[in-house]
Amino acid sequence: MTRRRGGPVRRAAPSEQGRVMDPMILGVAVVNGIVLGGLYGAIAIGLSLIFGVMRVINFAHGSFLMIGLFIPYWLWQLFKINPYVSILVAAPALFALGYGVQAILIAPLYKRERAMVLEPISALMLTAGAGLIMDNLTFMAFGPDFRGITVEFASKAFWIGEFLNINYTRFLAFLASLGLTALLSLFLVRTDLGRAIRSTAQNRDAAALCGINVMRIYNVTFGMGCAVLGVVGCLMIPFYPVSPSIGLAFGVRSFITVVLGGIGSIPGCILGGLVLGVVESVAAQFVTATSASIFSFVIFILVLFFRPTGLLGMKV
Amino acid sequence: MATEPGGRHRVAIASAASAILMLAVPLAVMDEYYLHVLIASLFFAYMASAWNIVCGYTGQLSLGHSALSGIGGYVSTLLLINAGMSPWVGMLIGAVCAMGVGVLVGWPCFRLRGPYFALTTIAFAEILRIWTENTEEIFGIELRGAQGLSVPLKGHAPALFQFDGKVPYYFIILAMLAAVMALAWWMERSRMGFYLKAIRADQDGAEALGVNSTRYLLSAMAVSSFLTALGGSFYAQYFRYINPERNMGLDFSIELALMGIVGGQGTVVGPILGAFLLTPAGEITRATLGGKFPGLHLVIYGLVLILAMLFLPKGLIQPLRRLFGRRSAASGATAQPTQA
Repeated sequence: MTRRRGGPVRRAAPSEQGRVMDPMILGVAVVNGIVLGGLYGAIAIGLSLIFGVMRVINFAHGSFLMIGLFIPYWLWQLFKINPYVSILVAAPALFALGYGVQAILIAPLYKRERAMVLEPISALMLTAGAGLIMDNLTFMAFGPDFRGITVEFASKAFWIGEFLNINYTRFLAFLASLGLTALLSLFLVRTDLGRAIRSTAQNRDAAALCGINVMRIYNVTFGMGCAVLGVVGCLMIPFYPVSPSIGLAFGVRSFITVVLGGIGSIPGCILGGLVLGVVESVAAQFVTATSASIFSFVIFILVLFFRPTGLLGMKV
Repeated sequence: MATEPGGRHRVAIASAASAILMLAVPLAVMDEYYLHVLIASLFFAYMASAWNIVCGYTGQLSLGHSALSGIGGYVSTLLLINAGMSPWVGMLIGAVCAMGVGVLVGWPCFRLRGPYFALTTIAFAEILRIWTENTEEIFGIELRGAQGLSVPLKGHAPALFQFDGKVPYYFIILAMLAAVMALAWWMERSRMGFYLKAIRADQDGAEALGVNSTRYLLSAMAVSSFLTALGGSFYAQYFRYINPERNMGLDFSIELALMGIVGGQGTVVGPILGAFLLTPAGEITRATLGGKFPGLHLVIYGLVLILAMLFLPKGLIQPLRRLFGRRSAASGATAQPTQA
């Protein structure tokens, strides 16, 4: 297989003594986990939104994020455009891509199913196919290397107390993730389009009877779910190198986040992300960073078995 | 399966003809490379058929089958390296281990449906892969983590599942495929096959009629796990090298599912069609254009998958069936209730 997984190993613990149960180091790990977890939450929002509204598991979710990372990377490499400015390009581009994938690939499935019940597996396999294509086209174009950008402001950090230093770009990404979640929730509650999306999620036949163009709402929802990844990609690229193979790992991580938080719940995503981030970060103190993700999978399985509605999820 | 009297004859003739053809192939194909492509196609046909026994017939999408194949490969190889046990025996032990794991994992998983089931199987398989990748040795047995294991070379040793040329491997995998096809054919017509199809069409409905769905799902899972692990051992012996990434990874699971789905789930011939379409296409693209465009074969897989889902949701077998004049009415509804 040409794809490689694993991603760059995050630097665990400040020093080699990290394996000792030192409350100080544990505290640092927890803070790092929270900062990272906010980002995981933001990554998962799109998946949760799309599932909540359309009942489609977007298997290509991580691949959309990968593209969301490559856009600011190339804009920086070619034109020296600040990654935060690139949001203006990446978010609309990802919106268009998501809109297109839904309108061209998934919409025919809805039209085919007469009973208007979408078979979840066919949609999952369709998006898996789209993910395979995106991953490997990028792989063909850019090769397997991990590519990061070195921007001047990325190395700056501030200190809390003596041990705890937090990188500015990471912290900004964390805050922006929370802001993005709040904005999206507000949008869904307050605007007409948001109401239309929510009503389609509740009952699409009733929504259609009220004059809502359900297929358009689906297209827009899918586009929005992907646009979020465009924003997140720009926030991440200053400290997270990208390669065509990272998609699957992030996709799986997003499923975990969404299931933890409760499928379809936007605030649940952030909670799920925080739990996941802290678990990974703390576990990395005891085992190698690559095997730390085992713990996330264990939590995922336990939640599915014992609390399938997630931590914040309502009974559907 | 509703077969009119003429249909059975035609099926018998078609199977006899393809059997003779497949047996004669090594006489005609001398080129090692083409023989390799054939062996790979047969291997994937076998694996997709084993996957199909639980997933195709019940409609539950498992994306964790690579873990079972990994168990088979690792158990037989570790037994060969550490105990000098012949892989012929080792593969059976591996298969029994995989069967145990499959049933243990399947038991809680089958309570989940649709995408939840698929995601949980991914989680279990990934746990095993990541653990293996990060474990150098356990109880004094060398696992060598991400590096993988090489099968020690013994030259031409049929008792140790090692042969000089590729031809013996060809016949072994052909026999394995024939066995799994016969099993699927028999199962399709047995009581169990009908129960499985009923579960696929409507699990709650089947249960209401008194079908013990857990029991039949687990039996199918046990058979499928056993067969998948045997395939994993074959892979280890044929390529003489296994690693967690290739043999337990999610990519491999997706490939198996893809072949089953593209060919036609829940049919005997479907997964074989899928494997014989995709494997040679992938192998040949990789060999001819792989240097210039590495990954192109996966783009093709993705395209084929999308086209199949959009235009042939029941798989390639659908138009072929029509050609053979058989109605696919008995193959059951594909829709299944979602569990929220």
